[in-house]
Amino acid sequence: MTTTTDSPTTTPTTGDKPTAHVRIVLAKVGLDGHDRGIKVVARGLRDAGFHVIYGGIWQSPAAVAQAVLDEDAQWLGISLLNGAHLTLIPQVVEALRQRGLLDVRLVLGGIVPPRDIPALTEIGVAAIFGPGTSVAEIAASLQSTSARITNVAELLVSFRQRDRRSLSRLLTMIAAGQQLGDIRDWLHANRPANDASAKNNFRTIAFTGNGGVGKSSLIARLVAELRSQGYTVAVLSCDPQSPITGGALLGDRIRMSDCLPDEGVFIRSLPVTSGSQGIASNLDLMSQALERFGFDIVLIETAGTGQGDIAVRNFADALVLVMQPESGDSIQWEKAGLLEIADVIVVHKSDLPGAERMESELREQLSLPGHHPAALIRVSAAKNTGIPELWEAISHPSFHRVGTAPRVFPKA
Amino acid sequence: MPTSIKPNGQIAGHYGPGELATVVFERDIGEAGHYPFTRGVHADMYRGRLWTMRQFAGFGTARETNKRFRFLLDQGQSGLSTAFDLPTLMGLDSDDSRSVGEVGRLGVAVDTVDDFHTLFETIDLEQISVSMTINAPAAIVMAFYLAAAQERGFDWKKLRGTIQNDILKEFHAQNEIVFPPEPSVRLVVDLIEFCARYVPQWNTVSISGYHIREAGSTAVQELAFTLADGLHYVDETLRRGLPIDSFAPRLSFFFNAHNDLFEEIAKYRAARRLWAELMRETYGATDPASWKLRFHAQTAGCSLQDRQPEVNLIRVAYQALAAVLGGCQSLHTNSMDETLALPTEHAVTLALRTQQVLAYETGVTKTVDPIGGSYFVESLTQQMHDDAEGYFERIRSYGGMLGAIDAGFFRREIAESAYQYQRSVDQDDNVIVGVNRFVQPDEVRVETLQVDASVENTQVESLRCIKSARSASDVLRTLAEVRQVAAAGGNTFPALIEAAKARVTIGELVKGLADVFGRQSLHEQ
Repeated sequence: MTTTTDSPTTTPTTGDKPTAHVRIVLAKVGLDGHDRGIKVVARGLRDAGFHVIYGGIWQSPAAVAQAVLDEDAQWLGISLLNGAHLTLIPQVVEALRQRGLLDVRLVLGGIVPPRDIPALTEIGVAAIFGPGTSVAEIAASLQSTSARITNVAELLVSFRQRDRRSLSRLLTMIAAGQQLGDIRDWLHANRPANDASAKNNFRTIAFTGNGGVGKSSLIARLVAELRSQGYTVAVLSCDPQSPITGGALLGDRIRMSDCLPDEGVFIRSLPVTSGSQGIASNLDLMSQALERFGFDIVLIETAGTGQGDIAVRNFADALVLVMQPESGDSIQWEKAGLLEIADVIVVHKSDLPGAERMESELREQLSLPGHHPAALIRVSAAKNTGIPELWEAISHPSFHRVGTAPRVFPKA
Repeated sequence: MPTSIKPNGQIAGHYGPGELATVVFERDIGEAGHYPFTRGVHADMYRGRLWTMRQFAGFGTARETNKRFRFLLDQGQSGLSTAFDLPTLMGLDSDDSRSVGEVGRLGVAVDTVDDFHTLFETIDLEQISVSMTINAPAAIVMAFYLAAAQERGFDWKKLRGTIQNDILKEFHAQNEIVFPPEPSVRLVVDLIEFCARYVPQWNTVSISGYHIREAGSTAVQELAFTLADGLHYVDETLRRGLPIDSFAPRLSFFFNAHNDLFEEIAKYRAARRLWAELMRETYGATDPASWKLRFHAQTAGCSLQDRQPEVNLIRVAYQALAAVLGGCQSLHTNSMDETLALPTEHAVTLALRTQQVLAYETGVTKTVDPIGGSYFVESLTQQMHDDAEGYFERIRSYGGMLGAIDAGFFRREIAESAYQYQRSVDQDDNVIVGVNRFVQPDEVRVETLQVDASVENTQVESLRCIKSARSASDVLRTLAEVRQVAAAGGNTFPALIEAAKARVTIGELVKGLADVFGRQSLHEQ
């Protein structure tokens, strides 16, 4: 792999936490499901301060390349124990090349016979880690990358030409809070001509709910539904970041990878610092950038629940609260006032016992006089039921708060 | 101390009668061959018959693996163990686009019943016991085996062997999954039910802790999760209406043999005792054969290192000793070069010789359960028994096996243990010879096996010939029958065997079943 990059860069990192912003995608390609090693490395790198996007098993080379592109990763780590490295790794390199990502550094972990190493090095594999390699050794070899400093003016020119990597890079800058003023001005100045009339279109939908309630799986199903209806969809998925190391293990993407590769889907995993209320900073700007780039719908997944739900409600067009049966969720959210601000309430995992009871309790609560009207939907991502109804509820005017215009979603 | 009994478990410096105060010999230990079988399932153990030396083998085409099988039998191996390639394990044909690069790579490539004819050519299936490691498409592969055996004129009632057929541990640990949990378990039970009636000497499930351990669990997690899986199969087969004693004797187990000698021995002893107690006391089995936990052991692949690979020979020897002192019924010893590639014939021979030295030179077979009565081992056995029961309780708190899978319980537990283990190695709390201590800068490279790259073409070409020679109407008819039975909820075996004889491929059958069962989505990963 060459060391040149297609954007102005190359200030070597020095300073306290050089790895704090290093993003690495880890994934397995091919049929082999042995994921002990890659999971240990993912967690170890998180603890070493990396932002690790875990892509999971059974990934195609094209899906991996799309993950690297959309996640704006500097490194790609592939784990292979299937002996098919000489077939699959050239395919991964080719997929990276087609996406213009040859500056991304590729490393391998797993079982590679010594005689195969030269062929892999030849096509650009930077390092191969066999059994017995410590996480510290891996972390050390990944740190010698360079920080990227981007000229925002140049970036915005290529962004306007719908260069996907520029979008990806722009999101990185927004997430890092770099040159926010310039970016905000530009996004404002370049809003679509019909923005005024389209003001009431629902485009950004936020999903909140406790960890483990299945938000990612639900969003994955919704993405598939929206794609089948012809919409292009971007997902901003928030996951917590370690308050100690600043590292993060971002795994929501796994649950959404069934539909990839697909140009009409963009997934970005975002680490959320503790104290930032369950959502990444500047989500509103990211959402705008995705809209300007041309995505019809932006789905935001919070990192759980928190005060941030109120903040997200302020710029999202709809807030979906996801709960599961027999979790005590409904009482908790009533107390927290979330039932007051949610537009749609999902009783998820509706195949579990207790779903019916939860729904009727909620229905009673929501029908109290003066309660803000919200739609109530039962969904099971596992059984793939209730997804069209969920979308209907999000987009249908009758469920909408009084005084807001019907939601019309222009398709790409 | 590489693998603690339980997370943060401590081993005392000394053990004596005090540690065994609550242990009652007759109730908790007993004699070998007697309930609760803590000391072994046979009264005379290896004095009567040695364990089966069964080396896992398979690569390339059925022709090449048949050659390796015959080589192993010539070297004195007493049973066969078949490794299938990843496309087969995932239920894909060799000509599927997803199989590219993986055909015949990690095991033998099979697509139709004709590959089973080649695989066991000249081998007398009524004399040699055959083990097959396959799970998601196990019912299909078993149907192929039975169809091939019948076409060669063998009597199903005389066939001996084992099919792994343990899908639950795939959900916990190894990820070779095709269908969702419920229909997956239903296929497992179809096989149990069919073989109980027609192939009575066949071990219908090899309930496996091996892969759970390889994925990073502790010894006690391996023990507890494996037995919990076994109990789920028992529950589901009982629901099918089979009496416990009609199928429990043919359930077998498969455990890891890891580095910590005494912990491993205690694990096998605790497993036997727990299973006997559960079968007799909880499930009311009355046939002593139902109480006996028989197990295959394989030395720990995850303990092998690619630094100084010859040192792996020594690790494997100690691990094999643990399996034998723990009373295994059959054993696979890993080859020293398996962190580098599939093993060479030289490496496989040394691995087999390791077992032969153990069996014939060390004297460990002279008396039954030589380690029984050790204060330390009996105390560890008791502790692992109790710790495993604690895990059973936690699984119940999720509403049982499928609830715990859905909640990600097993994956979380295993990943946590794997991570803690790696941390302890990285921090030098665990010494791995040649890796974090006694490192040798200039290592001698060992020779490794190279699988012929033309395998894929050969296999795809032979599949094309089979497809063009078979009757298209028979294929459609038998496939429709498989779908129909799958949808109606009957036992799929008769239909699968008919389809096998019509040369329907494994990929076609998996697809047919998936049309009815659905596929396990990556969402649930």
